[in-house]
Amino acid sequence: MSNLSNSLIDGLVDELEPVKTIKPISGLLVAGGLTLVVMAVVAATMGIRNDLAMGMADEMFFLRSGILLMLGLATAFTAVNLARPGVGNLNRGWVWALATAALFPLTAIIMSAINTPPVEAFRPMEGLKCLTISGLAAFSIGSGLTMWLKQGAPTSPERAGWLVGIASGALGAAAYNIYCPFNDIYYIGLWFTLPVLASAVIGRLTVPKLIRW
Amino acid sequence: MIANEETMRHLMIKAQGGDKQCYSSLLVECEKWLRRYYARKINPSAIDDLVQETLISLHRKRSSYDPTKAFLPWLAAIGRYRWIDSLRKIYKHDHDELYEEMVADPQEESVSAKVSLERLLGMIPEKQAEVISMVKIEGLSIAEASAQTGQSESLVKVNIHRGLKKMSVLIESE
Repeated sequence: MSNLSNSLIDGLVDELEPVKTIKPISGLLVAGGLTLVVMAVVAATMGIRNDLAMGMADEMFFLRSGILLMLGLATAFTAVNLARPGVGNLNRGWVWALATAALFPLTAIIMSAINTPPVEAFRPMEGLKCLTISGLAAFSIGSGLTMWLKQGAPTSPERAGWLVGIASGALGAAAYNIYCPFNDIYYIGLWFTLPVLASAVIGRLTVPKLIRW
Repeated sequence: MIANEETMRHLMIKAQGGDKQCYSSLLVECEKWLRRYYARKINPSAIDDLVQETLISLHRKRSSYDPTKAFLPWLAAIGRYRWIDSLRKIYKHDHDELYEEMVADPQEESVSAKVSLERLLGMIPEKQAEVISMVKIEGLSIAEASAQTGQSESLVKVNIHRGLKKMSVLIESE
């Protein structure tokens, strides 16, 4: 062993303090907690959809919420597990959640091919609002997840970027979803897919730079 | 002889709890293990630096080790990350910087970079390796490389791009 290595080891040993091991569950709590906070902010500032407030929510609301939450949790679970490196640490469950979530835009595309939808079905003004609020919500959740991930040692920063982006996009859209009153497949296929896609791309472009170590 | 997985795992758990003696033994064992790990991957003259960088990373990120899992896969993942990062720093993201480094200090950085670079160049199609060598290592212009190889200028650019992309994938998959 070289003298340099010896003195380095002595220095590192001198600095040693007890540490608490990183628990992925705390990362999931960060993502879940922020989602609840954002939902509360949406409810307080915009209100919640009428059918939900009356306890008679449309079935599409449950489908949409369930799929977005499942996608958000599955991707967040894989992302937080990346904080602890190890060879062969692959969690692929999120891919199935993503495939399931893709059913909304796919159905919208197929339905559009069968029957051209009226332009009003896409509600561009409301859709842009949906995109903006979901995007802001995703930014809050994604920032928290990124900060949490930074304390770990992610060895695949690019994959972590995609996953943080998809997770925060899906959870952000789920938060906005409690206000959004629209149930038709064209609207959901477009305006609930875009925030997830945009967030995934932004996550891939920005998160790796922030979590490199 | 290097300590076995179970011993290193035990030492790491103790080190996470603040046991300096165990930590010192662990770092000595890790140092030996990392030297052997890197010996097959990089130029011998670069091993010292990389081993030390990896030991520092191990120290900074020791909270990311899960005591219920095996230790060596964790150490290997940290080592692999540092190795890829060191190669990235040399030539992956900023090819112009690579060229400048080589011109500025042809005796040191470029020599160790070239050892890895030449090995990777041998793993991609000949036409791509040829133009990458000419433009990115020897410093020829696209037009000069085009004239020497008979490839059109746009093909030279495409081959450089494709070759570098393949090399990046090779680094990631090693």
